[in-house]
Amino acid sequence: MNPEFQRNLWLELAPARILLMAGFVFCVLAIFSAAPPALPGPGFAATALYYFLVVLWGTRNAALSVIVEIRERTWDFQKLNAIHPFAMMWGKLFGSTSFVWFGGILCLPFIIYPVLQSRGPSMAAAELAVLILQGVLAQSVSLLTSLNLIRRHHNNWRLDAFLCQVTGIIAAFAFGFRGLLSASPQNQAATFSWWDMALDPQSFQSVSLAIFTAWALGGCLRAMRLELRLSNGPFVWLAFLAFLALYEAGFESWLARAIPGADFARHAGVFRLAAAGISLASSAYGMAFLEPKDPVQFRWLILQIRSGRIARALLALDCWMLSFSATILCTLALAFAFWRDPQSIGGVSASALILPLLAALGFFTRDIGFFVLFRTWSRERGDFAAAGVLVVLYIVLPRIAGPAQSLLLPQLTAPLIAFSAAWAEAAALWAWTIVRIERRTG
Amino acid sequence: MARRKFSDQLTSMIKIRNLVFEYPTARALDGVNLDVAPGAITALVGPNGAGKTTLLRLMAALETPYAGCITIGGLDTRLEPRAVHQRLGYLPDFFGLYDGLSVRRCLIFAARAHGLSSGQVNKAVMDAAQNVGLAGRLDQSAGTLSRGLRQRLAIAQALVHRPRLLLLDEPAAGLDPQARREHSRLLLSLRDGGMTLVVSSHILAELEDYSDQMVIIDHGRVAGGSTFKGTQLRIALAAPDDRLKDFLAGQSGIEVFQADASGARVIWQGGVEGRAALLQALVRAGFAVSDFGEDRHALEELYFARIDRETEH
Repeated sequence: MNPEFQRNLWLELAPARILLMAGFVFCVLAIFSAAPPALPGPGFAATALYYFLVVLWGTRNAALSVIVEIRERTWDFQKLNAIHPFAMMWGKLFGSTSFVWFGGILCLPFIIYPVLQSRGPSMAAAELAVLILQGVLAQSVSLLTSLNLIRRHHNNWRLDAFLCQVTGIIAAFAFGFRGLLSASPQNQAATFSWWDMALDPQSFQSVSLAIFTAWALGGCLRAMRLELRLSNGPFVWLAFLAFLALYEAGFESWLARAIPGADFARHAGVFRLAAAGISLASSAYGMAFLEPKDPVQFRWLILQIRSGRIARALLALDCWMLSFSATILCTLALAFAFWRDPQSIGGVSASALILPLLAALGFFTRDIGFFVLFRTWSRERGDFAAAGVLVVLYIVLPRIAGPAQSLLLPQLTAPLIAFSAAWAEAAALWAWTIVRIERRTG
Repeated sequence: MARRKFSDQLTSMIKIRNLVFEYPTARALDGVNLDVAPGAITALVGPNGAGKTTLLRLMAALETPYAGCITIGGLDTRLEPRAVHQRLGYLPDFFGLYDGLSVRRCLIFAARAHGLSSGQVNKAVMDAAQNVGLAGRLDQSAGTLSRGLRQRLAIAQALVHRPRLLLLDEPAAGLDPQARREHSRLLLSLRDGGMTLVVSSHILAELEDYSDQMVIIDHGRVAGGSTFKGTQLRIALAAPDDRLKDFLAGQSGIEVFQADASGARVIWQGGVEGRAALLQALVRAGFAVSDFGEDRHALEELYFARIDRETEH
């Protein structure tokens, strides 16, 4: 047996704990079974309990599986063993959550049996798969987040665990609650469009859930490899970005609907690029927040580039750097598409959108710079400070800036001012950042 | 690329060349060059913040060098960190244990995590427990052990897979005198069994008991060092004699690390009879020897002499 999994089982599944969990689950279900018909039955209670155990509690256990090792100073010992990163990853993921999975599995028959009776074995099997995948996705995203957070050497383990839990829970429910399969058919759209294909929403959501769970597990493996001092290279993250861009680009019709009067058929490519760009930018913001942005790593990269070892530097780029670069490329492609086909989109000439788009790119470049710059000041709070500055810049200041909004946001009415302001701010911020990074060399 | 095998048929178990390591705010190690011979105990000494712990973590392939390289038994820590991890034992200065597990389970986990097969685990666990004197406490919970016993368990975990190299960072900190003596005996027995040990410590008197080589780290550099294969002798003269330094330098089997007209500190490579011969030679040469014997504080003297010299520079 995987030693890490076994160690977790020793700690998590002591006989007394097993009995306690079994007793707790059956007591809750017994109470709801005896409840009057007007109140929710055991099926509802089992579902709620399953989510409480597997998602809410499970995400915490998954996050703490690494965070506690750091806190208790056992992580160095773990890193110095012979366990393969994959075995270490799944040993932690499923070992640390074995107790809550035990409780969750006890709930499953009470959830699945009604579906089996009302909708047949295939739907019951699909329902079971979705429930398990939601649990695995939530826990693996939580573990992935914790593996990224510990690289920042952040000392507030409670806050880290909370952040991991939140990301895990969001991931679990990003594809809907359990109702996504068993909701009454009349309440659901018959089909929806993705890459011009009419798809069954339930099947699409289930497949999406499975694919994103696989990516999350792959992400955990990569993060674990980094912890065990193995390098990853950029290719898997680039493949994920390509997948994410293509996946989100398929929702172009959703984006087109948000722009009144847009000729979707004519500008489908533009909307796809825009949807892809938004997803890439989101990944850049997310990873810029999560990853360590170590000034030493920057110095090392600069040293490699100055020494002409470009390939070595490219292979060592962090995920946020790749997302940042991919966003820039996607935005430039979008600007090129506007330039090639200057027909109006929703009543605005496409060519008039180029400057605001490039202004948005400038603001994006500046924003990422905030995360790097603030990290040079504080390893502990730099990322939160940068996120706070962005909230002020995008939410608070525009409400009081009046006509000066162009200095903060891409504007259709004053595109040149916004463009100039964005890139001036970005250039100044990055110059300051690089000076700080290089100056700190002892 | 074919993977090279870990080898102990080397003149240096650890080879460090031009090593540089940076933290975001400072350069912790700056151009460190060092060779550690196999089968020896090397003491890493230096003031707080000198870079000892960082150097040990780099040797353990827990950190990646900014520049330069470290090879452990012929394996490059940057290129093959996992191969290095599997082959060494490391005890950090602040370590933790799985308090919810028994001593036996802690050691079983350590053995299995280091790739020992099921057939090897039980023997390895018993050997490690006996080595550190925990054989009678295998079923006790790690969380209930005293500080000294926790230290022993941590060492047992680090050596359960019988590594060829053991790195210990402040291993005797917080131990009582009896536990320190047992700890010194343990390290010597491991060395006699063929293991290479690198020990970082502030307790110079204790290092003197078992170290074969001392390396002084200061301000991220190797500030000095010496080998201690032999007995440290103190020679004092009742009447100062300027010939003493040259006389001692001319004797075989002696390494002089401090000498002036009134006395000297030397490392004597020979046995007891040779020492007697040396004393006779000194007296015969006309030196008024007032004190001749083992020096229990030679390492400390050497350390402070080197550190003072560095500070003056």
